[in-house]
Amino acid sequence: MEELDLNPRIVNALLKALDLLNGNCLSKFTKCKLGIGCPILDEFLHGGVLSQGLTEITGESATGKTQLCLQLCLNVQMRVEDGGLDSGAVYVCTEDVFPSRRLQQLIATFHIRHQIDKAKQCALGEKIFVEHVAEKDQLEHCISHRIPILLEKGLVKLIVIDSVAALFRSEFEAHEAFQRAKSLQRFGAQLHQLANKHNIPVICVNQVTANINTQSSSENSFKPALGLAWSNQVQTRLMLKRMPYKLPATSHSSESSDVPNTYEIPVRALEVVFSPHLPRDTAYFVVDANGVKGLK
Amino acid sequence: MQRDLGSFPFPPHLKRKLSTSGFRIVEDLSDVKPTELSKELSISVEEALEIISTVKKSEPRSTLQRGQVRGAVSALELLKKETSSPGIVTFCEEIDDMLGGGVPLAKITELCGSPGVGKTQLSIQLAVDVQIPEAFGGLAGEAVFIDTEGSFIPERAADIASATHQHCKHVAELQGIEDQISAVEDFTPEKILSGIHYFRCHNYTELIALVNLLPNFLEDHEKVKLVIIDSIAFHFRHDLDDMSLRTRLLNGLAQSLIKMAVAHQLAVVLTNQMTTKVNVGQSGISHLSPALGESWGHAATIRIILFWKDNQRYALLYKSPSKKETTVSYQITKGGIRSVDHQQTVMDTMKGTADESDSMNPRKRLKPDDPDNG
Repeated sequence: MEELDLNPRIVNALLKALDLLNGNCLSKFTKCKLGIGCPILDEFLHGGVLSQGLTEITGESATGKTQLCLQLCLNVQMRVEDGGLDSGAVYVCTEDVFPSRRLQQLIATFHIRHQIDKAKQCALGEKIFVEHVAEKDQLEHCISHRIPILLEKGLVKLIVIDSVAALFRSEFEAHEAFQRAKSLQRFGAQLHQLANKHNIPVICVNQVTANINTQSSSENSFKPALGLAWSNQVQTRLMLKRMPYKLPATSHSSESSDVPNTYEIPVRALEVVFSPHLPRDTAYFVVDANGVKGLK
Repeated sequence: MQRDLGSFPFPPHLKRKLSTSGFRIVEDLSDVKPTELSKELSISVEEALEIISTVKKSEPRSTLQRGQVRGAVSALELLKKETSSPGIVTFCEEIDDMLGGGVPLAKITELCGSPGVGKTQLSIQLAVDVQIPEAFGGLAGEAVFIDTEGSFIPERAADIASATHQHCKHVAELQGIEDQISAVEDFTPEKILSGIHYFRCHNYTELIALVNLLPNFLEDHEKVKLVIIDSIAFHFRHDLDDMSLRTRLLNGLAQSLIKMAVAHQLAVVLTNQMTTKVNVGQSGISHLSPALGESWGHAATIRIILFWKDNQRYALLYKSPSKKETTVSYQITKGGIRSVDHQQTVMDTMKGTADESDSMNPRKRLKPDDPDNG
């Protein structure tokens, strides 16, 4: 190979492939996992969300997508032994204003549960970088220029995009399906590159769309938005649902007695739609003052 | 090689420059790069490249002559060869039957399907099954797994490997054949995992480079009987805007793969994504079809489309030179790919092996697993 005069990019790729042949880069392959911070759900997900790939959280509105993301943003700051990655998070909001009040509430209870001293508690919020974008081009700029800076400095080890669907669904007309697919693929590839390069998990929130050609009633009446072009980019797809039954709230928030809960809280379901390492299965959880909690 | 450089048909000024710089025989040029040579002799890179390629051409092509130039083979011999070499079983009997005894060697098999239908799972299952010892009618080979999407999960492979190990152990105990019992001792999950050579490609350049370097790797690892690329489509679908370049690169890739498959008698399994195809004529009507376009459809010898229907996974043999178009169902359990009527088949297997163990083909015994793996 050295005898040939080749484009340096190709030579680099060749050398890298050679390195791989000799097994020099093994450490890069070890994926790490980011726990949700609830033992039941973490066990259900075999340890948590995988790095080096896109994890999609999808579901109807008010099923707990944002709650799950917020909890991940907090848990990523835990030590590696406790299921975190010992670093901060970037939270890209495209739909709504960042729910900072809810975050403060979560931080307060997080502190009670994990016995973290006050000084660290303040820092919990400081390590979450929030970015509001309203346009696709802004998002692109954010992904390609702004987030890499944070990643290079090692300040963050989690990217949350809440949500991907909002921008891509609104900016393209119906007849522009091809352009939309193309730009979704490019966007997915960019996220993949970041995830691989820095060995971090990337969480994308997606909306759902009504499934019109449902043949049998057993199938879901909703399917994730953005179509196949996007699904092909996703490594793990988690679907959240609201279940028709409710639980008395008191039985689940007994340890945080300072929050008086008298109403009932709805039970939600977390379904693994597909994942390379998880079976298709459903776990149930509730969202209370402490965040997301699995049910046995 | 001791040949004098003066004996090559170079222009006189180049000959002079060569000899004054100390290049006398062919060996002197053996590991000189064109850029170095052009600097050394103060000539253009093109001239240097030409000198080196002329010298290279005169060398005996030892590597080329081995294995690649072959006489014609009669069709009968081909048939014998094909029937004697078993395919790689999938552990789903219906899929094996559909393919005529598993994924065949020396051919390219393409698995297409939408996300989550089980392409990667089937690939991992094949990477494990290719290593089944010969005593069980397996290939006792190894596998190369080229991952472009990052979806190969070692712990999942470990699950499938230990289920396969358990299954073989179970069969061996049931049969009580010495060979099998001793073979299963060696066939540990650790050994299975160490027999999967994993490569990760982050862009299409790396993928092409790796495929071109793979023959070297295969020469060092003669046991490799399966090369998996999961997936072929991923990088080619977003990195390339020039469609004709994409077609050329993909066809080149397919050629290298088929050459490799035939030269080393190994199976090549590619996975492909699906795309929505809109019929322009009848507006609004669309259907799913494998990605990468029409011309790529010729690349694989066998094409299997995996899809969901009524909460059940199905595999459709879409293209095959020897088998008819069939649709069969399968399922994915913790232990890997299995037939659908799982419990039923297990009962049959247990009964069958007890009754007619002598008359059965050993490969047929590799049926779905005992229930504790399910």
